[in-house]
Amino acid sequence: MWKKLRNPVLLFSLALVSAASWLHAADSAPQSVQVTVRSILAGSKSDEFDPKLKSLEQQLKPLKHRSYRALKDETQTISWQGSKVFEIPGGRSLTIVPQEFQNDRIGLKIRLTQGDKPLIDTTVKIANKGNIILGGPAHEGGSLVLSISAASQ
Amino acid sequence: MNQCETIRESIGRWLDGELQTADSEAVRRHVEGCPDCAAARQRLEKIQGMLGNLLTAEASQLEFAPFWREVRRRIEEKRPWYEELIEWAQSLLIAPRLAWTVPAAIMVLLGLLSLAKWPVGGQVSNYASVESIDTHGRNVALLREDKTKTTIIWLYQDPEGESENVEEATKSGPAF
Repeated sequence: MWKKLRNPVLLFSLALVSAASWLHAADSAPQSVQVTVRSILAGSKSDEFDPKLKSLEQQLKPLKHRSYRALKDETQTISWQGSKVFEIPGGRSLTIVPQEFQNDRIGLKIRLTQGDKPLIDTTVKIANKGNIILGGPAHEGGSLVLSISAASQ
Repeated sequence: MNQCETIRESIGRWLDGELQTADSEAVRRHVEGCPDCAAARQRLEKIQGMLGNLLTAEASQLEFAPFWREVRRRIEEKRPWYEELIEWAQSLLIAPRLAWTVPAAIMVLLGLLSLAKWPVGGQVSNYASVESIDTHGRNVALLREDKTKTTIIWLYQDPEGESENVEEATKSGPAF
């Protein structure tokens, strides 16, 4: 009985170890990162909340503006060691450079510029498939809010 | 040792049916043709009959009811939980079952690793860590909101020249 069982057990164990190794390799070496930048206009002149921003409603609440309107969504796939520029309303641009992927967190170098003038340079680590909010620049009588999300691919 | 002596040594086993067919037939033929061996057979059968009667008589006097009652009690008796646990643990250590503990241990390990990666309850922390920040002389606020697990970087633009609407920006800026 032991001999009959030994081979299936051995094969099953090897299959499990192989599957685990393959999954680990696939998980730890993403080829690129997909970055989505949502540009939002936050204001206080009305109580309008854009239904397109429903998924961000809870995250925008701490800002305590009265109105939120989606201005633009842009998604780009960026390879590691690459960079992409996102056009932001108001003549601004956001340059994103993926830095690293570790512990299911993605490191991003972010630069927001207005024309040639840099507004902010920051390096952040966000959860895979998570986001960070960057806001403040004045725009059309309100404030520009950017939701920057990233997902490894 | 002559043939009769050999046959007489085998008569007991022959009567008990313990001999092979060929040997049994040889003994039967000899006993039927040899008066001395036939007499030996009769003596042996008589002794066996007497012993049988004696045992039957003795057995009828024995009280078997308490014996069977005790057997039934032992069968129906509920054993303590720890004895059942020990027996279960021992059954796990039988080699064929033990062999499956290897892949089982691997699966448990993989499960634990998955749990570590995907927190129980599906609530993945969205907190972002800010490693460095340079606002080129502007003020900045960093907010971490517990309820939504969101990290917010709020940039205060210099009202001189950069703001498109200075008054509104100042009013609506650092609301949190």
